[in-house]
Amino acid sequence: MFKDIADVRKGLNQQQYIASQEISTVVFLSQNLCKPILTEGPPGVGKTELAKAAAKALGRPLIRLQCYEGLDESKALYEWEYAKQMLYTQLLRDTLRGILSDTASLTDAVTRLSAEEDVFFSENFLLPRPLLTALMADEPVVLLIDEIDRADVEFEAFLLEILSDFQVSIPELGTISAKHEPMVLLTSNNTRELGEALKRRCLYLYVDYPVFDEELEIVRLKVPGLDQELARQAVQTVQQLRRMDLRKVPSISETLDWARALIAINARQIDEETLANTLTVLLKYEADVAKAKRMMGRGDNPPRRRRG
Amino acid sequence: MDDRITEFARGLRAAGVRVSVAESADALLATRLLGIQDKETFRDALRTTLVKEGKDFPVFDKLFPLYFGSGGQPLQDATEDLTPGEQNMLQQALESFDDRLQQLLDWLTSGDGPTPEELQAMAQETADRWADSPHKAMWVTQSMLREMGFSQLEQKLQELIEKLQQMGMSQESIENLLGIVRTNATSLREQVAEAVGLEVQRERSNRPSDLNTSDIMHKPFGALSEADVERLRIEIRKLVNQLRSRVALRHKRGKDGRFDPKGTIRANLRYGGVPVELKFKRNKLKPSLVLLMDVSRSMEPVVEFMLRLMYELNDQISKIRLFAYYADLTELDPHIATMIGNDQVDDAFFAIRHIHPYQPYATDLGNGLETFFHKHLNAVDGRTTVLFLGDGRNNYNASRADLIKELQRRVKRLVWFTPEREIQWFDGDCDMHAYEPYCDSVAVVGNLAQLSAAVDNLLTS
Repeated sequence: MFKDIADVRKGLNQQQYIASQEISTVVFLSQNLCKPILTEGPPGVGKTELAKAAAKALGRPLIRLQCYEGLDESKALYEWEYAKQMLYTQLLRDTLRGILSDTASLTDAVTRLSAEEDVFFSENFLLPRPLLTALMADEPVVLLIDEIDRADVEFEAFLLEILSDFQVSIPELGTISAKHEPMVLLTSNNTRELGEALKRRCLYLYVDYPVFDEELEIVRLKVPGLDQELARQAVQTVQQLRRMDLRKVPSISETLDWARALIAINARQIDEETLANTLTVLLKYEADVAKAKRMMGRGDNPPRRRRG
Repeated sequence: MDDRITEFARGLRAAGVRVSVAESADALLATRLLGIQDKETFRDALRTTLVKEGKDFPVFDKLFPLYFGSGGQPLQDATEDLTPGEQNMLQQALESFDDRLQQLLDWLTSGDGPTPEELQAMAQETADRWADSPHKAMWVTQSMLREMGFSQLEQKLQELIEKLQQMGMSQESIENLLGIVRTNATSLREQVAEAVGLEVQRERSNRPSDLNTSDIMHKPFGALSEADVERLRIEIRKLVNQLRSRVALRHKRGKDGRFDPKGTIRANLRYGGVPVELKFKRNKLKPSLVLLMDVSRSMEPVVEFMLRLMYELNDQISKIRLFAYYADLTELDPHIATMIGNDQVDDAFFAIRHIHPYQPYATDLGNGLETFFHKHLNAVDGRTTVLFLGDGRNNYNASRADLIKELQRRVKRLVWFTPEREIQWFDGDCDMHAYEPYCDSVAVVGNLAQLSAAVDNLLTS
């Protein structure tokens, strides 16, 4: 458990996650108010990373549910292991025959068999998926529901039941409540508007690209082998690229990849040649690369990127 | 402090941010947990609990200092460094000004500005009149400052300097005095601006805001004032969110479709053909829409709100094609809906008017239907829902109800939204009575409440 906001910050820093005051505050509140955090922001700013760092800092296991279109309850919550059930029925055929041998009629046999039904719909044959795993865990866990905006609206509605009470009903087994309320983080890239009810239940955190100093610190922390001056130049270039009107602006993870690439090619400084060789690490569209090269070649300040 | 936070939540609501009671309760819990000593933490705590959308952050950032601001810099005492003789001189010089200016200069020199209560009283008077147009707060502040005498301040300060010089005050003291007075003037301006902002905000949040119970939802489209329309535009997003969650829930609870033998066999191959899992065909729930709208002058507000709803709900519709009819019928670029959804209403109607210029008594749906049958019949098939939005007033032109009948036969569903009540359908040039028998349903959409109910129905049934 985190004691106070400073403790959150320290804990996350130890996991090599640079947390701003705002992030630390929200994480602390989430822990104490028992509310999920909904993080939004452009891709690659460390939303998923936050969950991982928080889990490590708290020393709890991380359970991750990756959302995608068409994700349904059987993939997210639980499934009966049909194959195992079938196999067991085959193996236990003799035992079953023994039980049913002295029945006179079909009705009797069915009644006798239905008394044993519970065996086949017990936890032995239950295949828990991430959500149920998180609820049934014996120790407190961190549950990451990644890219919730990709899941369907129907799934979102279903998620509400779990996030509000931390319990689910399985018809054959009854209601299962969480032994420990998990710390829940949801991430969204904002590809679609999320439902009001879900937002109402969450604390909201918007993570944007870091400012120069923060990003430099991240690079120093994660890629310690990079020369200080070179790191500064690299971050400056990335920040400059983000202000350009590109199809896909470089994210933090791409900055880090680039920093590692600079070490790999043993670069001394960021000149035109180095840039030309490594720019594809940062930019993923041919048009963007060409545009960036033109801009860097001129060496002047790019026009400010318009935000919509 | 709790009251202030509750009030702040109401202020956010009035400014168009959706804040529920549960959320303001969360905000109270959070601030109780974290305390209010650290302003940054306090701010973060309020923001994370109250504002759930990135695009509402600017509103939060604007309102936060109004409710929890320092109230501008405190005024300084300019007379502190003056000798008693000089203070006397100043007093005498001030007495020669008229009441209003004397008070202003007195505030600025003595460092005892108006009390918060006085400021509030002054601001309240101004805010009462202007609460409907918060974007005019700047202007209101200016007029209030003018009333306090700020417009003549520079001029009067010159006079004051001259007087003090005549009385023999040293140049150094005068400059000193002037410096402090100018700083004080800036601070007082800030205080006034903040007080006005807060009052306008308070006044706004005191007005009835619950859309569903307010009259504005039930006011006929034709009777909406400019301010009403402005308010509805802000509130329509809340409405859409309600609609959307309702539709999603209904889809979730809705029954699956017919038994799907092919899917079942495929799914059960792994169990050696024993049908363990049954598969059902999913009902296709999102309609494919063809929307035909009357764009005559009287229909403009209905069309605007219809397109707004369509824009906001486009994820609930699988496909949409827009047609506009007036004297004739043309297909509209779906971009029109995007423009309206992004508040470029005037531009959107300008584009429509470019194709369908205003003409008196020009509406002719019969002609429009003929054009539709000639040119655009490929837009519809057995899976399409055709939606007419119009009053069915044809200016005594041929109604061509036979074409409507033919259209209904070809499509899945033909729905009509009209802003007029049933008793008006037989009245004058209205052909609604002729079309009505061939519609699968007709909804009266005289106001936004009816329109949203009709759209709800359209998406779920």
